[in-house]
Amino acid sequence: MSFHYGQGYPGRGNPPPGAQYGGGHAPYGHQPSAPYGGAPGAYGAPAYGGQYGHGPGSAPGGPYGGYGAQLHGGHYGHHAPAGNVPPGVNPEAYQWFHTVDTDRSGFINPKELKQALVNSNWSAFNDETCLMMINMFDKTRSGRIDMFGFSALWDFMQRWKALFQQYDRDRSGCISSTELHQALAQMGYNLSPQFSETVVQRFTLRGGRPGIQLDRFIQVCTQLQTMTQVFRERDTNMTGNVRMSYEDFLSGTISRLM
Amino acid sequence: MAYHSPYKAPPHINAPPDQGFLWNIFQRVDKDRSGVISDSELQQALSNGTWTPFNPVTVRSIISMFDRENKGGVNFNEFAGVWKYITDWQNIFRTYDRDNSGFIDKNELRQALTGFGYRLSDQFYGTLIEKFDRQRKGQVAFDDFIQCCIVLQRLTDVFRRYDTDQDGWIQVSYEQYLSMVFNIV
Repeated sequence: MSFHYGQGYPGRGNPPPGAQYGGGHAPYGHQPSAPYGGAPGAYGAPAYGGQYGHGPGSAPGGPYGGYGAQLHGGHYGHHAPAGNVPPGVNPEAYQWFHTVDTDRSGFINPKELKQALVNSNWSAFNDETCLMMINMFDKTRSGRIDMFGFSALWDFMQRWKALFQQYDRDRSGCISSTELHQALAQMGYNLSPQFSETVVQRFTLRGGRPGIQLDRFIQVCTQLQTMTQVFRERDTNMTGNVRMSYEDFLSGTISRLM
Repeated sequence: MAYHSPYKAPPHINAPPDQGFLWNIFQRVDKDRSGVISDSELQQALSNGTWTPFNPVTVRSIISMFDRENKGGVNFNEFAGVWKYITDWQNIFRTYDRDNSGFIDKNELRQALTGFGYRLSDQFYGTLIEKFDRQRKGQVAFDDFIQCCIVLQRLTDVFRRYDTDQDGWIQVSYEQYLSMVFNIV
């Protein structure tokens, strides 16, 4: 009998979660024509389309849309004509790029990203998630992302936002531990309700109702994918148990920590 | 001096600073006069010596260590702990940053961590540098050095809890492993 971890990829085959990160080596495809685009789920997010029904470029609700992540402070007047959108860049992301890039450097840094993203309760995205996403889409390891990276990040966020809304069954604007457990089970993870409870407790905001906002949801699910991969690489017999040395535990975990 | 704290260090760094001195600092850092120093207030007050903003993740780690009521900041009493914690790290960092560059390289990192009692392979130090070198210089700055040490310590603590016979090996299930790791996410 082989142990079932879950794939983290609802609606697709079972590519190993997080495999695309490859331990920090060449996390992005090398096709020169489409450095970020193309490959569904290339960043460990759920696939485009499929059961979630949001293709790339048709962001649900748009930037001003109802709830989940929303960009604020935008002015339509700043939007560049759509005719200049570089190939492979989501036109909506292209328009937003100029608003988010407040210092007009041509790049988005973690601070600019944080200023642009809010949760459904209007709290700012947490630093860890902003950094994590910048690192994921920062092809040159410069600590900031260009237009192409931002476009990929945009698509990534829209997909998670759609999932967040889907799993927020009571429409409370946050994911409770029960909802998180259901979400993880549907993504194929074989984890106890206690696991979700611990995670939600840990990330619940002070004074708020118990639950996690979109930023933590993205962080938790992404980290879960990469850490599942770390475990899976060591569980060669698929027993669900591994024996690890101290240094292997440290280096496996630290190198994939996002 | 290549890196420095925002305030003049007390003359005898190992002696506990007096309350008046700390109160002065606290009031300057607590910009909104709320009586609690928040992440962003502390971040603005700290320097990593390289003219780049202090790592916000390190700031969060430090605040959460001393913030007893989970209020998202530290009051004056807790700030004394924060101050000591940071100056202690600063002294350690200075010891290993021999050329005062504001950065320590792989060798210096190895010496520092070996001094703390870690016994780790050369390859592992490469992994650490790769991970915590936020400025992509092949070296780590003061703020990233603190974060590196915090992460190492937390992972070591959680490993120890599972390594009941203390032989340096653990046997864990999938969910146990994830729970261990989510301690530090």
